[in-house]
Amino acid sequence: MKVLYKVGGTLSKDFIGQISYTVCLDRKYEELDIEFSFDKQKYTAEDVTEDVIRELTDYCRSNYGLELPPGADPAKEIMDSAKTEIHTLAMLNDRFIGCIHRQLTNRHMHFCSSSATEGCIPQTDLEGVLKVTVLVFNVLMDDTHYTLQVSAR
Amino acid sequence: MYKRLELHNHTTESDASLTCEDLLRWMEADQVDAFGLTDHNTISGHPKMQKLLLENSSGIQCIYGMEYTTYYGHILCLNLKEYVPWETIDRRRPELLFQAIRDKNALAGIAHPYSYGYPFARGCRFEMELTDYSCVDFIEIFNNPEPLRQVNEKGLLLWEDLVLKGWPIAMTCGMDLHGRWEMGNQFATFVKGEPGGDTAAELEQAIRSQKTCISKGPILEVSVAPDSRSLTFHLADTKKPGFSRQDSSQFLITLKTSSDTYTAAPDQAFPIERLKGAESVIPKLYDKTAEIENLVCVAPVLHLTGQSRQPWM
Repeated sequence: MKVLYKVGGTLSKDFIGQISYTVCLDRKYEELDIEFSFDKQKYTAEDVTEDVIRELTDYCRSNYGLELPPGADPAKEIMDSAKTEIHTLAMLNDRFIGCIHRQLTNRHMHFCSSSATEGCIPQTDLEGVLKVTVLVFNVLMDDTHYTLQVSAR
Repeated sequence: MYKRLELHNHTTESDASLTCEDLLRWMEADQVDAFGLTDHNTISGHPKMQKLLLENSSGIQCIYGMEYTTYYGHILCLNLKEYVPWETIDRRRPELLFQAIRDKNALAGIAHPYSYGYPFARGCRFEMELTDYSCVDFIEIFNNPEPLRQVNEKGLLLWEDLVLKGWPIAMTCGMDLHGRWEMGNQFATFVKGEPGGDTAAELEQAIRSQKTCISKGPILEVSVAPDSRSLTFHLADTKKPGFSRQDSSQFLITLKTSSDTYTAAPDQAFPIERLKGAESVIPKLYDKTAEIENLVCVAPVLHLTGQSRQPWM
């Protein structure tokens, strides 16, 4: 497959919103692949500082009335529960062709006329204007990196 | 007849472990009349389910939809025929998205309004600053897997508050199914329909007229007596699998109005004058005591006047 577009970026902690990339396909293709990757999905033990524990436990207490269970390890609870969450959405000529909601740090959205990745719709006419949107729901840490690559055949 | 609907379900098209075919078989096995296909932010399962149902003779129907999973809350969308973009959602003007969904003749509702959001899953809690609730068709007052008091009771109270202020909002419930989860003794949504009828149309009619009902088993029917002086009650058996209560002699009914809550017995008429002129009444059926743990059924809102209702804030 030919790489049509490759881009990357850096997200800062707590960013919420979308970043869109528009690719004008230079001709009609039979097959399209959109690959998206990001890092720092979960906290590591070093990331869970006393400040992070205080911030998150205070938030859960004041917003949900939640307290940690007796004997629970706050750092472990946070490492297990909190995550950076990013989804990807694809539109072709302003028409929805797929979205990946699964919590994958590396994902492909693959399209051809007879099949597509789950979450996506097979496409017979892969031509026109492709818009890929990175939907950022939650970013735990500064300097969270992502890459996006569009390939076609 | 009453039709049992399971309106909130996911597949491998988003983040569940059930394929479309698995979901269909799971619903058939539990004798569901119709089920929602409401994957997160995708409608890719619709053509797959349509194909499966064309090859299926059981009579079960699918309510095609999607769970709009946004940064500020989840919007459950039913009878959705095409994708409506949501990415430009404005937390302070969410009515625009609700209206865009409704403009496509789909039904738009608030899913699990009090679920835990950040830092577990941002967007699960409904944090949109809605002011005009006329754009909301329904609220999912019970999301079965969620904590009863911390999440679902608050959802029920939100819906009751809005309804008793005059907003014509229906209620639903759902399993939020992401796997082969047991549905016995959980709430399901019921609507009236005809055998072989178009359940999507029957659901729309029920939601637009606030005639949906949620129950773990029996349905509480409330009627105004011919002399208009009292309410009478009847319990209809839905044969929902897994409902464990066999003895209905200890059921009790509450009638909630904007000013008070009254208790009634299923086998005794209730004088309407005791409701002190209330226009809207929310009847609920409990087992033994009127605590959320013992809630069995929330019946459709009863409107006691024919006057047009104006919501007040």
